[in-house]
Parts: sequence; structure tokens; C-alpha cells
Amino acid sequence: MGRLIVPSVCILISIFYFIYTINLPKAKLGDPNAPMYFPLIISIFLFIMSVIYFIKELLKHYPKKEEVKLLFKGRAPVLIISTLIISLIYAFIFERIGYLASTILYMLAILFIVNGRNKWLVNLSVAVLFSVGSWYVFYHLLDVSLP
Amino acid sequence: MDWQGIFHGFVTVLQPENILFVMFGGFLGTIVGMLPGLGPATAIAVLIPVTFGMDPTSALIFMATIYYGAMYGGSLSSILINTPGDGSAVAATFDGYQMAKQGRAGPAIAITAIGSLIGGAVAVIGFMVLAKPLASFALQFGPAEYFLLMLFTLSAVVALSTGNLVKGFISMGFGLMLSTIGIDLQTGVYRFTFDNVFLSDGIDFLVIIIGVYAIGEVLYNYLTIDKPAGKKTKYGRVWITKDDWKRSKWPIFRSSPLGFLVGILPGAGGSIASMMAYSTEKQLSKKPERFGKGAIEGLAAPETANNSAAVGAFVPLLTMGIPGSGTTAIMLGALIMLGINPGPLLFESDPNMVWSLVDALFLGNIFLFLINIYMVRVFVKVLDIPSKILYPIILVLAFIGAYTMNYAIIDFYILIIFGVIGLFMKLYDFPIAPLVLALIVGSQMEQNFRKSIVASDGSLDIFVGSPIAIVLLILTILSLIYPLIMNVRRKKWEAKTDEQSSL
Repeated sequence: MGRLIVPSVCILISIFYFIYTINLPKAKLGDPNAPMYFPLIISIFLFIMSVIYFIKELLKHYPKKEEVKLLFKGRAPVLIISTLIISLIYAFIFERIGYLASTILYMLAILFIVNGRNKWLVNLSVAVLFSVGSWYVFYHLLDVSLP
Repeated sequence: MDWQGIFHGFVTVLQPENILFVMFGGFLGTIVGMLPGLGPATAIAVLIPVTFGMDPTSALIFMATIYYGAMYGGSLSSILINTPGDGSAVAATFDGYQMAKQGRAGPAIAITAIGSLIGGAVAVIGFMVLAKPLASFALQFGPAEYFLLMLFTLSAVVALSTGNLVKGFISMGFGLMLSTIGIDLQTGVYRFTFDNVFLSDGIDFLVIIIGVYAIGEVLYNYLTIDKPAGKKTKYGRVWITKDDWKRSKWPIFRSSPLGFLVGILPGAGGSIASMMAYSTEKQLSKKPERFGKGAIEGLAAPETANNSAAVGAFVPLLTMGIPGSGTTAIMLGALIMLGINPGPLLFESDPNMVWSLVDALFLGNIFLFLINIYMVRVFVKVLDIPSKILYPIILVLAFIGAYTMNYAIIDFYILIIFGVIGLFMKLYDFPIAPLVLALIVGSQMEQNFRKSIVASDGSLDIFVGSPIAIVLLILTILSLIYPLIMNVRRKKWEAKTDEQSSL
């Protein structure tokens, strides 16, 4: 029944969007319901498509996709979750400690996980060189403001 | 043809800084395009911040040459390691990799460059001939016609994208849904903002695009990160023999206009153009059995077609403001961000920009041809860089891109969320192009829909009120029926094959 999770999520989102749409504030100018017409069409359309998807998944009998299995195999789950957590930390520290320091730390962390601890010298060199190089290119050459 | 405009375009492109952008864009695009799994869409998405600070014409030239470069780069990795950068380079693996395995990677790379050069040049001429009349024609479009044109584009993209139709429509629905977040432009009503001030202007579509393409792609590639990389084949002299040319010249000249015309169609793009060119040449060939075993014509045709399709895709983008693919949708997003509104009026308001772009494509093509022939050794070194080092670099580029959109940290969180969504979309075969396209045209689509309804006093008759509207409606219906017919035909064919094999 695991394959019904994605269609169920789609159905729930369309219902949530529909409920939010019908509760939208009325417009003070022109037709009061004007802001809700287009979202209403989208929500109904999305609901119908999601229900069809649900029924198709329910009726079909096929083995779980190989790629979906990979999501729970080997290093993949650890890499994905670690990358997401480190990225969230990066978002948190980016403006607080500045682009250069936060990016060096971010790259080091990701490289240690993805590329392995044994290659610490390569990881360190890539993290420092790329962070400094990109900072120079964006900040000085392209006039992009970075914290 | 607007000879004066074309001439002025050349004057702009030949300015030293623009020549530099053509070269730089082509070079960077080739490198990113060579990375397994990363195609032109990701290349443009992660390199958008590099265009900040440029004037809009230079930015457009830069992005167009990244697009072109990524097409060349994708072909190189298809030929050398049997790993296409994106869909349009898949056909290059059929015969390109076989040629490389036979020790003919040099001629394979050369014919790819020659075919791309000719295909691109023919398509640029096609653009010069077609664009102005098409832009004039588009001036007759009212809100109802524009709404229907967008509807047709979206349905065509769904119908022609990989994965099934229902998932394509769900992807499109989510894109439209996201486009409704923020203040309603006509009434000032806050919609789906959850009382969050950051959402009042909506979610920046470029942040979503970078998330689903770049972050999603990296997370998806983690699934196979420890798989041994494709073995790089060796190559000798990068040029072709007389016999190679004899076998390839007609496929190249036939595939050039074919690719261009397919590229103009919404939703079709390089993948379909290259596949069509490949199958057409196979059908026309006196020795079709050679295809798939290293036939040079089997490589020349798709590689010509995908490059001319890339130019063809600019026709609807610049003349009507309608992107026909995920990649051109990203370019449209970047253009809007730069304050440019592509459409028929662009030919009147800023013709120099249009012609500079077209001339840049022409020059970029020549430049890419030269570097692909003479500098291939430098590019091939990129394939030696382990992906484990490249992915963190792509992640950082994605974060820089997202941050520089609004200089707001909330975009980092949005980027991460859409990275995860992008991963799951890939895992469950939801095509990403309909989401991106719907996200970008969604707001305009709604505005045109509402303007039409107001103009017709609430009647839906306006959507069949003009010959153009009726044609667009018929095209939309046909684009929806087409995959169903193909499905029925495929099932019949499969049943027939099963019957024959059981006998």
C-alpha cells in the first residue's frame, strides 16, 4: 500500500488548496469572488487528476521501482538526510557568520560525508579554494552583494 | 528579413565584452553540460547569478550560449562515457558511444561539432526569416488567445514529456497552484500567504526552479553515487574522413530544418527532435542494420537536430513570450527578472536585443565548434573530476543563486524544500518541465483568463470567439488526444508482438 502514499498526498493537497480557496477574502474592487475563480479551477483539476492517479496505483500490480528501493539502500539515505540537515544549518549560519566562513564549513561538512574522511586534504583544498574563488568572482567581479 | 537589425545585432555582439560572454558562456555551459545528469536547464539555473550586474542584452547572450554549450557538453559525455547530460543527448549514445568503443571517438566528436554547427546555422537563418512575421501575427492576439496559447503550450508539454499523462497534469497543477501564491495583481487580495510577509510577493519561481533542478538533481544522483563511473573511451584525431562526410552530409542537411521546426513546437524540444531525426535517418537508410552499431550518420542526424531545435525554441519565446520547454521557461524567468518582457512588442521596443541574441547564437555556434574540435582534451579532463567533489560545488552555486534573488534567507529554506520535492518527482516519474512552465506562465495565464471573462461579461464564448482562438482550442484538444492514441497503438503493437512470439 506504500505506493498509495504519493497519490494520497496529492489528493490532500488539492483538498487543502480548495478549502483555502473558498475561504479567500472577498475583493473590494469589482467582482468580490474574482481572486478565487482561477485557484478554484486548479484545485478541482488537481483533485480529479490525483484521484485518477490514486485509482491507477490501486489497480496496478507491479513491483516497487528500483530507484525507490535505492532510497533506502546503502549510503543514499544517510547522504540525503545529512545533506539536508547540513544545508539547514548553512541557512541558519549564512548571514550570521558571513558567506566565506559559512561556505567553507558547509563545503567541508558535505565533502567529508560525500567524499570520505580519508581524502581530507582534497576536501579541505576544494572547500577553501572554491569558497574563496566564488566569493572573489561574485563579490568583486560581478558586484553581487554577499554577507 | 530585417537586415539592418541583423547588422546592428552583430555590432553589439562583436563588442569585446559580449565576445567574452559568448566564449565564457559556451565554455561554462559545455563543462556543466558534460556532468552526468546535468543538462542545459540545470546549467542555466545554477549560473543565473553570474548574469547579475550584466546589462540585459549581455545577460541574454550569456545565457543563450550556456544553453548551447550545455548541448555540446551533453554530447561529449554521451560519446565518451555513454552518459547523456539530458534527454536531447540520449540519441548520441546509440551510435556515438559505439563509435567510441570502436576507437572512433575522434570522428564522433568531430561530426557532432560539424552537425551542430550546420544545424545551428540553418536554424538561425530560419529564425531570421520566421521571427518577425510571427511576432507581427502575435500582435493580433487578445487575452483570450493568449490564455488559449498558454493552455495549448502546457498541454503539449504534458503530452510530450516523459512519464504518464496524469502525473504530467498533476505536475502542471502544482505549478499553477504555486503561481497563485502572493498578492492578487488585480484586486490586492492576499492569497495563500499564511500571513507570512515573505510570501506576499509570491515564491520566487527561480528559487523553485533551482531547487527542483539543481538540489533535486544532486540528491537524486546520491542514489547512485558509489556506482563506478563510465569508463572513458580513448580518442585519436578529432576529424572525419571523406567517407564519413559522404555518409553524414544528407542526414545533417535533412535534420537541420526538421530540428528547427520541431524546436518551435511547444513541448517538443531537443529530445524529440533528436529522436525523430534518428528514426527518420534509420528509415531512409539503405543499411538500417548499421544503426546502433556505430553508424556515423546515426550520430550526425540527432546531434544536428537537437542544436537546431535549441534555436527553434527561441522563436515562440521571443516572438510570443511563450516558452516551449523547461529550459526556455527558465530563460524566460531570468529575462523577466532582468526586466525584459519577451513577446511581439519586444521586436518593436528592443529589436537590437533580439537580433543580438540571434547573432550571438550564430557566433557562439562557431566558437563552440572550434573549441570542441581543438580544445576537446581540456573538456575531457572535466570527466576526470569525481562527481563527489562536483556535487557540493553545485549545491553551493544553487544556494548563491537562491540568495541573490532577494537577499533573503527564507529562500534557502524554500530551496531545500523544493530540492526534496524535485528528488521525489524524479523518483516517482513526475515530469518537472510542466511544473516549471506552469509556474512561470501561471500568473499571466490567470490574468489573461480574467481579462477575457471581464471583456465578455462573464461568458465563456470568448474562448471560441475568433478563428485564432478556435484553432488554438483544437490544437489543445489534439495535443491531449495524441498520447491516448499513441498509447492505444502501442498496446495493440505489444499485443501483436506477444501473439507472434507465442506462435
